[in-house]
Amino acid sequence: MDKKPFFVGYLPIPEGLRAFLISLTVSLVVFMAFVGITIGATQDDPGNGAFRFDWRQQTVTGVIEFVPYPILRVTEGNERIPAGHTLMLTGQGKSTIRTRVQPMAGDLVALTGVILKRGELDMMQVAGGNRGLKKVDGPAPDLPAPEPLGRWKLAGEICDGKCLAGAMRPGRGLAHKACANLCLIGDIPPVFVSSQPVEGSEFLMVAGPDGTRLPDRAYDLVGAFVQLEGDLERRGDLLILRMDGDTMELMQ
Amino acid sequence: MSVKYIPVQWNRFKWYYDAAMLAGVAAFLWLFIHIAPGLLSHERPINPQVHNARAFGACAFVMLSIILASGPLARLDRRFLPLVYNRRHFGVLTAFVAVTHAGYIIDWYFAFSKSNKYEALLFANTSYGQIAGFPFEIFGVFALICLLILATTSHDFWLKFLTAPVWKRLHYLIYAAYVSVVAHVSWGILQDQRNHTFTAIFLASAGVVAGLHLLAAFKESRDADPVADAHGDWVAVCRADEIEEGFAKIAQLGDGERVAVFKQDGLLSAISNACAHQNGPLGEGRVVACFVTCPWHGFQYDVRTGRSPAPFTEKIPTYNLTVKDGVVLVDPKANPPGTPVDPVNPEGV
Ligand code: FES
Repeated sequence: MDKKPFFVGYLPIPEGLRAFLISLTVSLVVFMAFVGITIGATQDDPGNGAFRFDWRQQTVTGVIEFVPYPILRVTEGNERIPAGHTLMLTGQGKSTIRTRVQPMAGDLVALTGVILKRGELDMMQVAGGNRGLKKVDGPAPDLPAPEPLGRWKLAGEICDGKCLAGAMRPGRGLAHKACANLCLIGDIPPVFVSSQPVEGSEFLMVAGPDGTRLPDRAYDLVGAFVQLEGDLERRGDLLILRMDGDTMELMQ
Repeated sequence: MSVKYIPVQWNRFKWYYDAAMLAGVAAFLWLFIHIAPGLLSHERPINPQVHNARAFGACAFVMLSIILASGPLARLDRRFLPLVYNRRHFGVLTAFVAVTHAGYIIDWYFAFSKSNKYEALLFANTSYGQIAGFPFEIFGVFALICLLILATTSHDFWLKFLTAPVWKRLHYLIYAAYVSVVAHVSWGILQDQRNHTFTAIFLASAGVVAGLHLLAAFKESRDADPVADAHGDWVAVCRADEIEEGFAKIAQLGDGERVAVFKQDGLLSAISNACAHQNGPLGEGRVVACFVTCPWHGFQYDVRTGRSPAPFTEKIPTYNLTVKDGVVLVDPKANPPGTPVDPVNPEGV
C-alpha cells in the first residue's frame, strides 16, 4: 500500500508534497527559460543579404536581355551600380518582372527600384508603374558579346536569387526549400551557390541549356547539396551557368 | 465530477498549475524573442518572422515533450501525478503555441506569391519521393491537425460523449503528433544546422520521452496487478488481512477488467478499478472523507454502491464478494454500474 502523500486536486496540497511540488514548479519554469534562451542564442548566421532600403531607390540605365531570366546590362550607372555591371531583375514579392519588360528587350531603358545585395550577388526589385520602367530615347549601345567559359562541373546549392540575396534571412537550405520553390515557380531568377569560387565568384545565375529556364528536375533538389555540369558564360560581370539537368546528382 | 458542463471546473490547484505553465511558456518565449537576438553576433539579424516562428515552434516541441514525459513520470513516481492533473490545459496551450508557429511560417515563406498561401504550402514542394528535400511541412501540418483535434475534444463534454475508452484512444493521437513533430524537425531545421545546440536539446528531449515510456512500461510489467485465480465460479483476489483500512488490492479478472477490493470501516467492498472519468486506477486511490477517491483527478465513489456522491451522477460497476478461509473471493461477473452490494466482514461469513 502506497503511504506517500495522496494528492487530490481540489483539496489542499498535502504537507509532505508541498516542498516537492514547489521545487518541481521552479525547476520546470527555469528549465523552460534555459531552453528558450539557449536555442534562441545559438541560431546560425543567416548571411548578410538584405534589401538595401538604406540606399533608397536606385535608377540606372541599360539594356534588358533575357537569359532567359530578365537581366539589365548597365550602360550608365552610379557610384553604387557602375556601368558594365549586370543586375538580375525581379518584380514585387515572388513575382517576375518578365511580362513588364518583355516588350523592351534589347531597348535602352531606365530602371528604378530597390537593390537586394549579398556579397557580390545583387538584384533589383523594379518599382511598380512608369516610375520603375522608362524607355530612354536613342539607340541601345553595342554591348560586349557574352563570353563562353567552357564546360564546368560544380558542387553547391540551387537557390532562388531573391531570398538568397536578402529578401529572406535565412534564404537558403532545405528548411527554406518550399519557399525557394515558390519563388522559382514565380519565375524569380535561380542562383547557384558554388562550394568553390568559379572565376572569382561564389554565385552564378543558373538556367537550363540553350536559353531554357531551370530544368524541372532541378526543383526536386533546390536547397540540397548537389553536383552538376553545365556551360558557363559571362555577360557583363554576371556568370550564367546553363546546367544540364541529367548531370545533376545529390551529394552527401 | 460534473453535474453540468461548464468550460472548466476551477480550483485553487488549477490556478497554480496554469500560472506555472504560463510563466514557463512566457519565460521561454520572452527570452527567445527579446533577449536572444542581442546575444547573437550576426551581421544582419534573422528576419523577425522566422525568429518568432522558431521561438514558437521550439516552445511547442518542448511543451509537448513535457506533456508526454509527465505520464510515465507519474507512473514511475506518484509524486508527479499533479503534473498530469491539469495536463489538458497544457495541451490546449501547446496547440495555440503550435498554431502561432504555423501562422508565422505561412505568412512569411508561403506569402508574397500570386497563389493562395495555404495552397502554396501544399504545392510548393512536392518532392515526396526523396529523403533530402522531403516536404517536411506536411509532418507539421499533420501534427497540428492532431493537436487541434485533441484541444477541441479535451473538454469533459467530449469525454462523456465519446465514452472514456474511445476518448482515451482518440487522445493517443498525441503520440502520432509527437512522432510527426520529430519528423518535421528532423527533415526541416536540423538539415541546415551548423550550430548543433538545438540538435542536442532536440535529441535529448525525444530520448527522455522515449526512455521514460520504456522505463514505465518495464516497471508496469514487473509490478503488474496479479491475475485472480479461479475458485469455482468465483476468483480469489488476495488474503483479506492484506487489505489495509482505506486502501485497496487490485486484481485482473479473466476478461481484461480489473477489480479493486477496498476496506472501509473494517468491511470489504469490490468495485471496478476503472474510474468513470478517464478510467484512472481507482484501486491506487484511497478512501478520503468516506469516499473512494481516484488518484488522477479526484472523482469520488461510494464503495458500497459504485455511485458518486450527490449531486454528481457518475456510476461504476460493483462486484459481489465473499470471504472464505481468509481469502477474498469475487464474482467476476460485474454488477451493472451503481448496483449496491452489502459490504462483507473480512473475518468471513
Ligand atoms: S480518471 Fe479522472 S478522476 Fe478518475
